[in-house]
Amino acid sequence: MATILLEVATPDKGEVFSKEINMLITRSICGELGILPKHARLLTELLPHAMRIKADGGETQLFVSGGFMEVTPDKITILADAAENPDDIDVERAKAAYNRAEERLAKKDSEIDIDRAEAALARAKARLLVKGVHMG
Amino acid sequence: MANLQHIRRRIKSVKNIQKITNAMDMIARSRFNAAREALLSNLPYVAKTKEIMRRVMTQMRGQEYEHPFVKTRAELIAEQEQGAGKFLFIVIASDKGLAGSFSSNVFKEAHDTIEYDGTGESSSLDDDGDDENFHKKNFDALKGIKPATRRTPKQQRQMSATGGMARAASHQGGGGTSSGSVEVAREYHDADYIDGIELITVGRRATTHFKQRGYNIIKSYHGISERPDYKYAKEIADLIIDRFDSGEIIDVTLIYTQFKSAISCSPDNVTLLPIVTDDYAKVGANLKEEYIYEPDVVKILNDFLPRRIATRIYGAMLHSAASELSSRMNAMSNATDNAQELVGRLNLFYNKVRQAGITNEINEIVGGANALE
Repeated sequence: MATILLEVATPDKGEVFSKEINMLITRSICGELGILPKHARLLTELLPHAMRIKADGGETQLFVSGGFMEVTPDKITILADAAENPDDIDVERAKAAYNRAEERLAKKDSEIDIDRAEAALARAKARLLVKGVHMG
Repeated sequence: MANLQHIRRRIKSVKNIQKITNAMDMIARSRFNAAREALLSNLPYVAKTKEIMRRVMTQMRGQEYEHPFVKTRAELIAEQEQGAGKFLFIVIASDKGLAGSFSSNVFKEAHDTIEYDGTGESSSLDDDGDDENFHKKNFDALKGIKPATRRTPKQQRQMSATGGMARAASHQGGGGTSSGSVEVAREYHDADYIDGIELITVGRRATTHFKQRGYNIIKSYHGISERPDYKYAKEIADLIIDRFDSGEIIDVTLIYTQFKSAISCSPDNVTLLPIVTDDYAKVGANLKEEYIYEPDVVKILNDFLPRRIATRIYGAMLHSAASELSSRMNAMSNATDNAQELVGRLNLFYNKVRQAGITNEINEIVGGANALE
């Protein structure tokens, strides 16, 4: 089966993933994308979500909190702000972040950076979704 | 004759200094490990960003995409024919001293870059083929049409700007080897450049150094030189992008110390803005295939380029932090070794003096006894 190299790097943890895979299913700002080997060159921005990685007949998940993805025929490079294995996600922390972001948005204070709060909310939501926790 | 108590006191004070330098060495060592760790984890990300940047820029060359950050050199010149933008330099140095020549090396590189005027032994062709180091090439391209940024020297202003250094040089009393002072005199005749320049400084030493010489510092960051935070890199990036967009500045160059290994680091400069596609020509010129940009090229570049700039600045801060701490480590362990040697020499001297005293006393006693007989 044909493979494509997937590399995920973050600013503070370096290269967190580097492996030949069969298929990557990911969510960009334009919607879901499935990337197979020999894909056309592509540059896009990712949303916070759990990517699905198919390799060696199995499927694993990797959470990315937004970033950029470059695809060339033999390599996928993902520059993520943060990337975690689902097992490493701290549910309590994500819940706290979720509540904090909601509080901020609810206040509608002009001093609060709405974009940042919304991004934080989206990240927390995506993390919780991976763990199967649904917030109101 | 030297006083025994005097020498004892000196030995004690040297030993005390040695204790301090030794402690500082150990502190620097542990902080250095953290800084190196942070730098190493950041390197792959920066390298990959650079790779993508290269491919995108190579591909963009000759295309009709419009983005304010991305220009060909011809466009740069055409645009500046009537504009009056300034050059902006970001200088990253340390907050504290006692790190050997760390800060002064950065300043030297900064002055070399700032004073570059297309003449002299260094020319744009010297640049080491790095496609992101093109301040000099930009300047060469612009110097024909922007004479106002580099004025002919004005005697009086030059005096006031170099006054501080002249005092410092005379304070050395001309005693030391003169090469140091000559260097100083050459370097700081910079008043004639100040008008066309703005600075952002990171590290207290950089701020003091350039403020003393009358530079226009638009923002400075203190207390983060050893432990950089991405937040500040982002802030600087936002600031320069803002000023670049408004046309107030036309060229942004970053001067920092590149960390190579624990015993080697050297100052370096990179151009952040504008991104000149001409310089991406050599690398991967045979790249024909086009990218698909989702949703579209402008949106992607609008998000990607600012992030690239912030990443660049953050990376430079990490490099600088690791370099600073390794320089301090080396300086302090040298100081400790020197103190050790000095103590040894003083001990020898102390013993000699003591011995001489005893010999003297014996002589006196013998002489006295002889006189009695």
